[in-house]
Amino acid sequence: MSEAKSEILMFQVGPRVFAAEVYDVIRIGSVHDVPPEDVVGATALGVPFARRRGIVVGDHAAGTERALAVDQVIGIRSVPETDVHPLPAFAAACLQSAAVTGFVLVDDSPTLLIDLPTLVREGPAAPADAERT
Amino acid sequence: MPGPREQQADAQGGGGRAATPPEAWFFCLRILGGRYAFEAPLVTEVVRLGPLTRLPAAPSFLPGVFTHRGEVLPVLDISQLVGHSAVAIRPSTRAAIVHCGPWKVAVVSDAVEGLVAIPRRALEPPPAESTGVAEFMSAVARDRAGAIAILDLPRMVEAARARAVPAGSAPA
Repeated sequence: MSEAKSEILMFQVGPRVFAAEVYDVIRIGSVHDVPPEDVVGATALGVPFARRRGIVVGDHAAGTERALAVDQVIGIRSVPETDVHPLPAFAAACLQSAAVTGFVLVDDSPTLLIDLPTLVREGPAAPADAERT
Repeated sequence: MPGPREQQADAQGGGGRAATPPEAWFFCLRILGGRYAFEAPLVTEVVRLGPLTRLPAAPSFLPGVFTHRGEVLPVLDISQLVGHSAVAIRPSTRAAIVHCGPWKVAVVSDAVEGLVAIPRRALEPPPAESTGVAEFMSAVARDRAGAIAILDLPRMVEAARARAVPAGSAPA
C-alpha cells in the first residue's frame, strides 16, 4: 500500500529555509520578469539577501499574481503526509502572521510550512517583526 | 470513634466529602536566579530540548518550537514574558511540558528541581507588587532549600497569548 505524499517546495529567504505547498505556486522565475510593484520583498519571513528568484502565486482576492522574492529555490520534496503537522495551537495564537501554518519534518527537522498566498497578501512585515526573524 | 479504615476512607474523600491533603505538590524550576513552582498536575513530563526552530513574527517569549516524539511543541520562556533576559538554551537545557487549558507548551528553565511538597499552612500570600513575575504569583513559601514563588501558570500562559498580537490583526 502506497503512503500518501505531499509535494513541498523548499526555498530560502535570508539564512532560513522554508517550505510551501507546490499547489499554491503558479511559476518560478527571475524577479526581473515581474513588474516591480508586484514583487513582495520583506515579509514575516524576513528580507532576502539578494532577491534572485521570484515565486509567483495568485492573489485570489485581488485577482492578480504577485511574486515573492527569495534568495534560492532549493527544489521540490515529496514527503509523507504524516510528516506534515499543523502549527501548535499556542504558537498559532501568538504569531503575528497567519502565513505560518505548520511544519514539515524534513530529515527529522521541523521546517516551517508557509501559506504563500497569505504571505504575499499580508505584504511587508512591520520592522519589529522582521527583526525578530 | 471511627476506626482506622473509616479514617483512611475520610482522608481519601470517602463518604462524599472532599478531603484536602495537608500538603500541596508543586513542580519547581529554577528561573531568573530563583525557585519558581506551579501546580504539579499541570506537568506531564520533563524533556531535554531538541534543536529549536525559530518562528517568524513571534513574540520574544516564544523562542521557537521543537519536536518531541514526533510532536511539535512550542517553547515558553517565562523569563522573557516578564521582561527579563532569555533563558540560555543549551544542549543540556530541560523543559517541563505542561497542559494549561487548551494550550500545551514546554516551559524552558535554567534547571529543573522537580516535585516539592509544601504544607498548605506554609503557603503565604504573594507580594502586593503587580509588575514583573510578581504579577503572576499566587503564593510564596519556604522549604529546606529556601524560598519558592508559586506561579499561577494557567494565568501566565493565557496572559502570554493575550499579549501577543494574534494573526489577522497585525498592522498592515
